[in-house]
Amino acid sequence: MTVLTHAFTPGPIVASGPVKLTLMAPVARFSLRLRAANIPAVSKAIGVDLATTVGARAANGTTETICLGPDEWLIIAKPDDTEKLVAACADVYASATHSLTEVSAREVTVRIEGERAAELLTIGCPRDIDTIPVGGGCRTVIDGVTVVLWRDAEQSFRMDIWRSFALHVIDLLCTGCKEFAAE
Amino acid sequence: MLLIHCPYCNQTLPEAEFTYAGEAHIARPSDPSSVSDEEWRDFLFIRTNVKGPHYERWRHFHGCGRYFNAVRDTVSDRFLITYKTDDPRPELSKLLEKSK
Amino acid sequence: MSSFRVSGRGRVDHTQPIQFTFDGKKIKGFKGDTVASALLANGIHLMGRSFKYHRPRGAVTAGSEEPNALVGTRRGPGRFEPNTRATVQEIWDGLQVNSQNRYPSLSFDIGAINDKAYMLFSAGFYYKTFMWPKSFWDKVYEPFIRAAAGLGVSPTEPDPDHYASRYLHTDVLIIGAGPAGLAAAVSAARAGSRVTLVDENPEAGGSLLSEPSAMIEDMPAWDWVAKTVAELKELGVKVMTRTTAIGYYHQNMVGLCEKLTDHLASPDGETPRERMWRVRAKQVVLAQGALEKPLVFDGNDRPGVMLAGSAQTYLNRYGVRVGNKAVIVTSHDSAWYAAFDLADAGTTIAAIIDTRAEPNGDLVAEATKRGIRIMAGHTVTGTEGRLRIKSVRVNPITGSSVGAAEVIVCDCLLMSGGWTPSLHLFSHTKGTLKWDEERQTFLPDHKAEECEIAGAGRGLWGIEAVLNDGAEMGAAAAKSLGKTTKAASYGVANDRPGTGVSHKELPTDLDAGKARAFVDYQNDVTAKDLRLAVREGMRSIEHVKRYTTNGMATDQGKMSNINGLNIASDALGVPQPKVGLTTFRPPYTPTTFGAFCGYHKGSHFEVTRKTPIDSWAEENGAAYEPVSLWRRAWYFPKDGEDMHAAVSRECRATRASVGIFDASTLGKIEVVGPDAVEFMNRMYTNPWTKLAPGRARYGLLLGDDGFIRDDGVIGRLADDRFHVTTTTGGAARVLNMMEDYLQTEWPDLDVWLTSTTEQWATIALNGPNARKVLEPFVEGLDMSDEAFPHMSVAECRVGGFPARLFRISFTGEVGFEVNVPAHAGRALWEMLFEAGKKYDICPYGTETMHVLRAEKGYIIVGQDTDGTVTPHDAGLGWAIGKMKPDFVGKRGLARPDLVAEGRKQLIGLLTKDGKTKLEEGAQIVLDPNQPKPMKMVGHVTSSYHSDAAGRPIAMALLEDGFNRMGETIYIPMPDRVIKATVTGTVFFDPEGARLKL
Repeated sequence: MTVLTHAFTPGPIVASGPVKLTLMAPVARFSLRLRAANIPAVSKAIGVDLATTVGARAANGTTETICLGPDEWLIIAKPDDTEKLVAACADVYASATHSLTEVSAREVTVRIEGERAAELLTIGCPRDIDTIPVGGGCRTVIDGVTVVLWRDAEQSFRMDIWRSFALHVIDLLCTGCKEFAAE
Repeated sequence: MLLIHCPYCNQTLPEAEFTYAGEAHIARPSDPSSVSDEEWRDFLFIRTNVKGPHYERWRHFHGCGRYFNAVRDTVSDRFLITYKTDDPRPELSKLLEKSK
Repeated sequence: MSSFRVSGRGRVDHTQPIQFTFDGKKIKGFKGDTVASALLANGIHLMGRSFKYHRPRGAVTAGSEEPNALVGTRRGPGRFEPNTRATVQEIWDGLQVNSQNRYPSLSFDIGAINDKAYMLFSAGFYYKTFMWPKSFWDKVYEPFIRAAAGLGVSPTEPDPDHYASRYLHTDVLIIGAGPAGLAAAVSAARAGSRVTLVDENPEAGGSLLSEPSAMIEDMPAWDWVAKTVAELKELGVKVMTRTTAIGYYHQNMVGLCEKLTDHLASPDGETPRERMWRVRAKQVVLAQGALEKPLVFDGNDRPGVMLAGSAQTYLNRYGVRVGNKAVIVTSHDSAWYAAFDLADAGTTIAAIIDTRAEPNGDLVAEATKRGIRIMAGHTVTGTEGRLRIKSVRVNPITGSSVGAAEVIVCDCLLMSGGWTPSLHLFSHTKGTLKWDEERQTFLPDHKAEECEIAGAGRGLWGIEAVLNDGAEMGAAAAKSLGKTTKAASYGVANDRPGTGVSHKELPTDLDAGKARAFVDYQNDVTAKDLRLAVREGMRSIEHVKRYTTNGMATDQGKMSNINGLNIASDALGVPQPKVGLTTFRPPYTPTTFGAFCGYHKGSHFEVTRKTPIDSWAEENGAAYEPVSLWRRAWYFPKDGEDMHAAVSRECRATRASVGIFDASTLGKIEVVGPDAVEFMNRMYTNPWTKLAPGRARYGLLLGDDGFIRDDGVIGRLADDRFHVTTTTGGAARVLNMMEDYLQTEWPDLDVWLTSTTEQWATIALNGPNARKVLEPFVEGLDMSDEAFPHMSVAECRVGGFPARLFRISFTGEVGFEVNVPAHAGRALWEMLFEAGKKYDICPYGTETMHVLRAEKGYIIVGQDTDGTVTPHDAGLGWAIGKMKPDFVGKRGLARPDLVAEGRKQLIGLLTKDGKTKLEEGAQIVLDPNQPKPMKMVGHVTSSYHSDAAGRPIAMALLEDGFNRMGETIYIPMPDRVIKATVTGTVFFDPEGARLKL
């Protein structure tokens, strides 16, 4: 088990056992807010058909989106695509007003995977994990901390955590891994 | 811990994702300067504090972030309904009929 | 082993001896024994002393309802638990068990004097005995009550164990793995539901474990249990043992406490001791069974007096005979079977005393076959024996008269007053109960939750009836979930169905007023206490409960509720259903604080938020203070410096040259959209329309009541984009408030809010040399006074990182705040610190920040304001956009009380002697010689030693403060009165000359 610090160096945190934890490399991250009428125009601009159901995701290549609220999406992209994305949105702003705010550094992301990954989340997350479909996600709470959870496979999740809360949440997940190992 | 239906997410979710936000249907006067001191006092402070079905607001704080309205019985702690902020105030008699 | 152990009998492992200690004495038992069963196997009944009277007590039950046999258990340093029930604690090699409530020893206890003085401790003694004289309270009564109160002793060391928690979602949660619960689980699981089956015992089986002779589906009961558990596991049922359902909450949320290590000799250290499960079930099946009731008669608490069903359990499950010569006293058929099992195992049954005149003929025949003396229509009127029962006094009942007594010698008295369905969890849901006249007990009636009640828990009796009911209820739960299923039907041979009657106190020929007939064993409440409470005017059962403390012990009335009700009902002359039951409350059994805390202890007690620069502060010896959830560098002491010296140095260095400060915790909100400026105009007091992009302004946020809520500098980055900062503690609150207005009052505005608090690391540079340090790192910005004056903001690059640079000041010096993406925060900090060395750059913490701002009279919301302060009160009237038609708080500011004269206003204070530093929070009076209580006219909000002013300075909220400039006011302290002069709040550079480059 690697002791994580606020430097948030990407790499394995828990490398073996029924659940593995990995701190993922930084990505470009944007909060996108807009009204329903402007979804088609902005979808076209960013090249992803934004989903309109809370928790649903849509992607195009390396650009991923998740609908977090009726007027809110999170966009994940390669850091290199930042300027392109900002420019594309700026181009349609006049006719399709919206808010695009960069939050790349706000959160860090942990990959949670392994045969008991879903179960590990139950040590702090009151939501029924079974109701999150593969390829979906949600913003929810774990141990009192707001997180965005992406379910990539039955037993593979990404969790976005605000930086200053991340060590607390990851510490809890590590504790859970230790419990599993002791069983 | 209650289960609360978020009308925006259309999911019934644990209370831990929500925060309470006081009585519902208390609109801020559109022209505050035109209201009397008594009316402004009532807007700020006077609440019905009912025993029984209560129109109140919640926010899906750790979820979609939306404020929404609810009718909750303060005696049984049961929700009769939750609805979007811009939906009309549901009639109590119909809700009570439905919950029977 | 002892003569009380029946060779080959029970579910304990006779091949695995285990040794533990009881009050230091070595005791031998077998794997599978509880402390109680092992002690009984060694002939030991005396296990504790009662709470109030210190009467000798033994185990009266064999389960978690035990009121008497409470012990302390120890497992090395820090691992001590008081009030553990000896009847559930499993033994392991090396377990240390101690009896409680005794001094100097269990067999000779000084506190037992209370027993002789029992008249003093009757019902309501708390309210009577300690009434007068008043002077006795501090010195006599309170110390006495404190010493006497409580059961056992508290542990004194921190608990080294760890505790865990989980959420679990399941279709059907079945509570209790006895016959009903097992059958229910089979039905629900076969129907394809996700099923969770829990039981507080180490193994499933419940009452079947005490009934090995029953044959279910032509299979011995124990084989059937094993087969069924195997099938359930095969079907994917989560079977959880040593797991107690402690509370049943709204919408089928059930709290479970799982004990993981208390039964192990050497836990591995990683496994948590207990785990709290918060289970959300679509359907719950309550299959908790029934609890046997004691009979109420004089001396029914002597060691050796035990419930008959428990004696049967000790025999069949643990292979222990609870005595050599037993007397049975019962009002229910079930105790007869206990007598038969014991007789067959070699215990002499001296008599079966049945309060009923004509007991069941089959039972009489069985007893007669075994040569047991039957005393039908008899009562028990007393027992003898100091530390163990020696004899029982028995009398015939003829109609309403009690005949002459006969004394029967025995070493145990096994009683049964019938069975009470376990209603605790059902009652947690506020499900209603109805009185069942035939069974003389309450049964579940209207359900408040999605649940079914199965088996003995709803008054059924006999294994076959209970199994089939469980099967039906499990199927019903599955059907509610839309599954199609048919309940299995079970046939049982050697079943032991039965009936009984219910009693108040047993009739006696002696003075009932002198009888020590216990109803609540743990709280030492007798039948007489209950009657006294009614005589003294208690009418509601809730009042009777509180006056006598009946049912208020840790067993939550499991033993005492119905007996207490029967007696109170008789005393009140009102039938039981009219009297009603007291409220059952969670937890079902005592639960450790650790289980409730879960992971939240030590460093994980609460989130500690740290900034991207926090690690630098830590490496450089910062002292920290908590600010909301953040830990912030408070000051940076050098060798030998105390806080005062460090802060003075940091203040001097900043004003003399340059200081560097981590301001990353400031809340930040990005306000974006075509209506951004309109939104800002409505939210904040200030006018924003004319603020040009690239400029910044101090913003003041009120509530609609007109009081100050928050403040911060706000930069306009573009026509439709603002960078709002909030106080550290106010960040979440302000965003919440903004969202509230935006979503619910002004949904028409095209503007959106995004929290960017953690996107940016914020480094503040302040001091005459701040620009010199910063400028070499800045790209794409002319930093001259003309191009980038005070109160400017720009997007540029600093140290190679994309940045938002503010020129603002919270110190009165030339100041900059550099925002860079959080991951770059520490790198930039180190660059600036390195470059600043030639200017003697000084890192400073929150304390210096506070002093520097106070010298300038800048307020801190929440310190200099308290939720009742208006902008005018705080001297911030200038921040109000008077031409705006509306903003949050504008109408509030016109409220009569807010425009009244003489409000508390924020002013400066200078102590007369120029040396004394006032205490923050100290109260202010105008006349120190007035009689007490004095009229307080305000309080000190901020107070520091100011290096720049060369003296202590303070701010205070003072009634009519603005009109008292130059006046002397007084601050009374415990040892003296301090004089101070009222001044303005700016103590340094009032012209603001230092803000210019």
